Amino acid sequence: MLLFSMGCLIILTQQNLIKKVIGINVMETSIFLFFLSIGNIIPGGPPIIRPGMEDVVYVNPLPQALILTGIVVSFSVTAFALAIIVSLYRFYGTVYVDELMKMR
Amino acid sequence: MVLFPLICAFLMPILAHFKKEACSIFTLVVVGTVLLIAAYLTIIVLPKWPYTFQIGHWTAPWGIELVLDPLSALMVLTISAFCFLIAIYSLRTIRMEVPLEKAGWYYTAYLLLLTGMLGLMVTNDIFNMYVMIEITGICAVALVLARGTKEATEASLKYLLLAVIGSGFILFAIGFLYSVTGNLNISYVAVELTLANEHYPYLVWTAMGFFLVGFGIKAALFPLHLWLPDAHSSAPYASSALLSGLVVKVYIISMIRIFYLVFGPEMLTGTPMGTLILVLSSLAIVGGSFFAYTQLNLKRRLAYSTVAQVGYIFLGLGLGTSWGLTAALLHIIIHAFMKVGLFMVAGTVYFQTGKKNVLYFSGLGRIMPVSMGAFTIASLSMIGIPLFGGFLSKYALAQGSMQAGGYGFVVLVVLSGLLNASYYLPIVWQAFFTEEKRETFHLDLVPMSMMAPVLIITAGLLYFGVTPGGMMAMIDKAASVLMPGF
Repeated sequence: MLLFSMGCLIILTQQNLIKKVIGINVMETSIFLFFLSIGNIIPGGPPIIRPGMEDVVYVNPLPQALILTGIVVSFSVTAFALAIIVSLYRFYGTVYVDELMKMR
Repeated sequence: MVLFPLICAFLMPILAHFKKEACSIFTLVVVGTVLLIAAYLTIIVLPKWPYTFQIGHWTAPWGIELVLDPLSALMVLTISAFCFLIAIYSLRTIRMEVPLEKAGWYYTAYLLLLTGMLGLMVTNDIFNMYVMIEITGICAVALVLARGTKEATEASLKYLLLAVIGSGFILFAIGFLYSVTGNLNISYVAVELTLANEHYPYLVWTAMGFFLVGFGIKAALFPLHLWLPDAHSSAPYASSALLSGLVVKVYIISMIRIFYLVFGPEMLTGTPMGTLILVLSSLAIVGGSFFAYTQLNLKRRLAYSTVAQVGYIFLGLGLGTSWGLTAALLHIIIHAFMKVGLFMVAGTVYFQTGKKNVLYFSGLGRIMPVSMGAFTIASLSMIGIPLFGGFLSKYALAQGSMQAGGYGFVVLVVLSGLLNASYYLPIVWQAFFTEEKRETFHLDLVPMSMMAPVLIITAGLLYFGVTPGGMMAMIDKAASVLMPGF
């Protein structure tokens, strides 16, 4: 939760666009961490069931699968955002929002 | 059905590599096929719903489930029909607005967006919903970016950043729901939530709040609408029509699904959340209209008008009554008609005369009578004059407010109709009734592929305005999915 609000704050307050993208990543990572902590069981092992050991306590594998998807999504969003920033930089020659606003 | 445009979308760059002109035709064929499939499915589904489909044959609580009930069938039909019309429209406009070597990528994004929206409509799994939201969001940004100008790049970055924050909130809310219910399937979550709500009321409220903020950013609910005017006004005309008419709406539909199916209407009206939605939507209606009034660029004016119209939809669903829900669903469809039509007319005006500023529209009614006639009909419908489609949803909204005992909202609806009139009618007035001597009267010089969708949409608007019966029956059926005992 702390990381989430921190990421949000970074996105909203930072002037540097690259730092904003890092903020996005911080925010998304916090969500992933949250999901993983939901699925975690303290004495649990990895969710691999071997023959003869069916009743072992293991962590919930579903959130991990979900987060795998989530990581792919956040990766593509990051790549896309960086690509847009590159083309913005070609237009304006800066990655700072306040300078962008001045140039308009 | 969802997979078909997805596969075709990935074929598109290959096609674009060999033959650049063929992409638009191919898109048209693909979207047309999707439309036919959607119509066929709707006919199957209407007598006996829900029709469910398990991906990979894993049964419901574990596997991902797709469900086609009257609500999603109706929306799938609407989405594919409008995508088809916009694809026809973009045959010519995209050639003029997007560089040829990028047109293949434009259509790739177009088909992916269609995939995302259809998937969002039929999914019955909240995590799958999140994935579809991301697909839709990224492709929508790509469509804004398509023109590659300075403004478009800037607007698309803004859109992307806010969309990511929005989907972050949605994912967090999904996490909360998963942690209290242990399920991802919407029907199962709803069952579990009635038990969980007693144990963890605050966690459930937090989840609701996060969903509201997330979908609010995505659907441009008033204080979170900042990305919308920039994005919609700098995109190509075909994309603006698509973004404004459909993309904003699919998020609202998923939000309605979550709020009504998972949380239930009682929780909406029983908590501060309902009041919050009502206040924000009222602000949206008034604020959006005022901002629209001050804009001189026609596209920006239409974009701010979308903010106001989104307010109507949220007002309808925030009321939590059956008429309010009907109004929200009805307005989603009617507004798609109106706004897609208006953006298309804005496009035709721009292509014939190069005019964007509404101050220079005087005498346009004589140069392009068909386009401006369509514009007039759509505007009158937007204001809510009887016999046009927009009247229906306004009427339902007023009924819903009275049902909820909020007479203030009736006044608000009437007042906002006047506000709408204040920013649409001057354009119509200027176009038709200002004397400009040098203009001679002749028909529009716009190609048929741009004119035909406009005419179809206008005809549809008139048809539903005069004979609302069929539409209302469909909407009632859709609403009965969301509200048992409707």
